[in-house]
Amino acid sequence: MGAEILQGLAAVFQLEVLSFLAIGVVLGAMFGALPGLTATMGVAVLTPLTFWLAPESGLAMLLGVYAAAIPAGGIPAILINVPGTPASIATSWDGNALAKKGRAGLALSINAFMSALGQWTSLLFLAVAAFPLAAFALRFGPAEYFGLALFGISLMAGVSGRFVLKGLLAGTLGLALSVVGLDPMTAYPRLTFGVASFLDGISFVPVMIGLFGFAEVLVQVFEGRRGAQSADAKLGDSAPTAEQWKKMLPAAGAGAGVGTLVGAIPAAGGDIGSVIAWEQARRLSRDKDSFGKGSIEGLAAAASSSNAAIGGAMTTMLTLGIPGDAVSAILIGALMIHGIQPGPLLFENRQAFVFTLVFLLALAGLLTLLLGLFAAKPLARILRIPGPWLWAGITLFGTVGAYALNNSVVDVWAMFLAGVAGFWMRRADVPLGPLVLGLILGPMMEANLRRALILSRGDWLSVLGQPIPAFFIVAALLSLIWPLLRRGTAASH
Amino acid sequence: MNRKDLIVGAVFGALAVGLGAAASGFPDPAGRAPGPAFFPYAVAVAMGLLSLGVLFGAVRSQNQEESSGDLKAVLSVCALTAVYLAMWGTGLFALRTAVFLALFLRLVGQSWRAGVSVSAALTAVAVLAFQIGLRVNLE
Repeated sequence: MGAEILQGLAAVFQLEVLSFLAIGVVLGAMFGALPGLTATMGVAVLTPLTFWLAPESGLAMLLGVYAAAIPAGGIPAILINVPGTPASIATSWDGNALAKKGRAGLALSINAFMSALGQWTSLLFLAVAAFPLAAFALRFGPAEYFGLALFGISLMAGVSGRFVLKGLLAGTLGLALSVVGLDPMTAYPRLTFGVASFLDGISFVPVMIGLFGFAEVLVQVFEGRRGAQSADAKLGDSAPTAEQWKKMLPAAGAGAGVGTLVGAIPAAGGDIGSVIAWEQARRLSRDKDSFGKGSIEGLAAAASSSNAAIGGAMTTMLTLGIPGDAVSAILIGALMIHGIQPGPLLFENRQAFVFTLVFLLALAGLLTLLLGLFAAKPLARILRIPGPWLWAGITLFGTVGAYALNNSVVDVWAMFLAGVAGFWMRRADVPLGPLVLGLILGPMMEANLRRALILSRGDWLSVLGQPIPAFFIVAALLSLIWPLLRRGTAASH
Repeated sequence: MNRKDLIVGAVFGALAVGLGAAASGFPDPAGRAPGPAFFPYAVAVAMGLLSLGVLFGAVRSQNQEESSGDLKAVLSVCALTAVYLAMWGTGLFALRTAVFLALFLRLVGQSWRAGVSVSAALTAVAVLAFQIGLRVNLE
C-alpha cells in the first residue's frame, strides 16, 4: 500500500492539480461566504467544467469548493448572523454572539482552526476506516446491495425534518425519475416518450444544477433579497489563548467525532451533525449557561462538527457508492463523468486514486485554514456584492454548464424544469434531499433486486432472508417508522 | 384544510396515476423474476399511498398562512429564461445572452446601467471560459 500512497501523493503535487485546487478553494470560499449560495450549488454548477480536465484536476477543483465552502459559511454566520451554508447554522449561535461582544476576530479564527481540525479528523477516519469497510463491502452480492440501497432510501424519512410524508413523496419522485431510460435487465425503453436523449436516463448533473442552483435563484427572487449584506463589524483580537485552546479542544474533538459519524450516515450532512455536536457540547460543559451567548466551546463544537461531516460523507460515498450528503451525491456524478465508479471496487482497482482524493481534501483544508486566518476581512467584503448579480451569474453558468456536459439542449431544459420544480417543492415544504437519494439509489436498488431474484429463480425468501439483506431491511423499516412514531408522539404531547 | 398540502397531494397523486398507467404498458416478465414494469409499478403504488396520506392530512389540518413574496417576478424570470432557452442554437450566443441577462437584471430591480454592465461582464466570462477556453459550441 506504501507505493499507492506515494502515487496518490505524487498525483496531487502537480502544478495543474494544485492550481485547480486553489481555484476551487477560492470559489468555494465565495460560495460559502455568500448567503444563499451553498457548497452543493457550487459543486453542481462547476461539475460540467471538470469534463474537460484530467480526473485529478477536476476533482481537485470540486473538492476545493467542498472543503472551503463549509468553513466559509461560518463567516457571514459570525459577522451578520446569516449562515452562509446550512451547515453553519449552529456556528451562528455562539459565533455571532461573540461578534456582538466585539470579538469577531476571535470567532473567525476559532471557526477557521476548528473547521480544519474537523476536516482532518474525519479524513483520518476516511483513511483508516474506508479500506476495511470497502473490503467488507466487496463480499456483497446483488441481495446485499439491494438491502443497502433500500436502507439508504429509507433514510429519506429521517432527512425530511418535520415533513416526513412529503419527504417520502419526494423520494418516490426521485425513484420514478430513475426509471427513465433503458430497463437495466431487458433494455426495454421506459418513460422515454420517444426522445432519444432519454434512453440513457435523465442526466443527473443538470437536474442537480436545476434543483440546487436555478431553484435557489427563484427562491431568492421570490423573497426579494436584493440588497448587499453589510459586514462592517470590527474584528478585534483574533488568536485564541492557551487557556482558550484547552477549553475548546475537548468540545471540538467530540464535535469532530459526532460530525464524522453523522456525515457517514447517508443523506445526513453537516447541518444535522453540527446541531447535535453543539447540543452535546452544551450538555457536557461546566458552563452551560454561556452556550448561545458567545461560548467558545459551542462555536468550536459546531465548526469542527460541520466540517467533519465532509470526511464521513466521503467515506460512505467512496466505499459503498451511496451519497453521504447532497454534495457527495453530485460528486458521484462528477466521478462517473470521468468513468470512475465509486464503491468497493475502487479500493481494489484504484487505491492510489483514493489516496489522491484524501490528500486533496487534506490540502484543501490547509488552504482554507490559511484563507480563513489571513483573508477573513477581504472575504467578508464579498458580502457586499448585490444578490441579483449573483443570481444572473448562477443562471447563466448553470445553463451553459448543463448544456456543455453533452452538448444537449434536452439537458438545458432538464435543468430549467428541475429548477422550476425545485422552487415549487421548496415553497410547498417538500424536502429536496430525498429526491436526490431516490434518483441515485433507485437504479442500484432495482437492478440488484432483479439480479438477485434471477439468481434465486424468483425465490423472494432466499433473497431477503440472508443475514446482511435482512439486517438492512430491518434497519430500513426502523428508520422509516421511527420519524413517524416520533412525530406521532410529539403531536400527542 | 391545508391548501398547500392539498395541492402537493393532488399533484403527486396525478403523477402516481400517470406512472402506474405507463408501467402497465410495459411487457410482462417471461419467467418468475420481475420484469420492466415491476419497479415503476411499485413506485407508483408507494407514491399513490403517500399522496393519499398527504391529502388526508391536508383535509384534517388547518390552512397555513403562506409567506408572501414576489411571485410575479419569479414568473417573469421563468418566462424570460424559457424564451432564452427556446432560442438556444439559433446563433449569436453572446448577443442573445447579454440581452437575456440585462433583461433578467432589470426584472429583479437593477438599473439599466448596472444590468447592461453586469450582463456584458458575465457574457464575456462565459464566452471566454466555455467557447474559447473549453471550445464548447454555444452558437
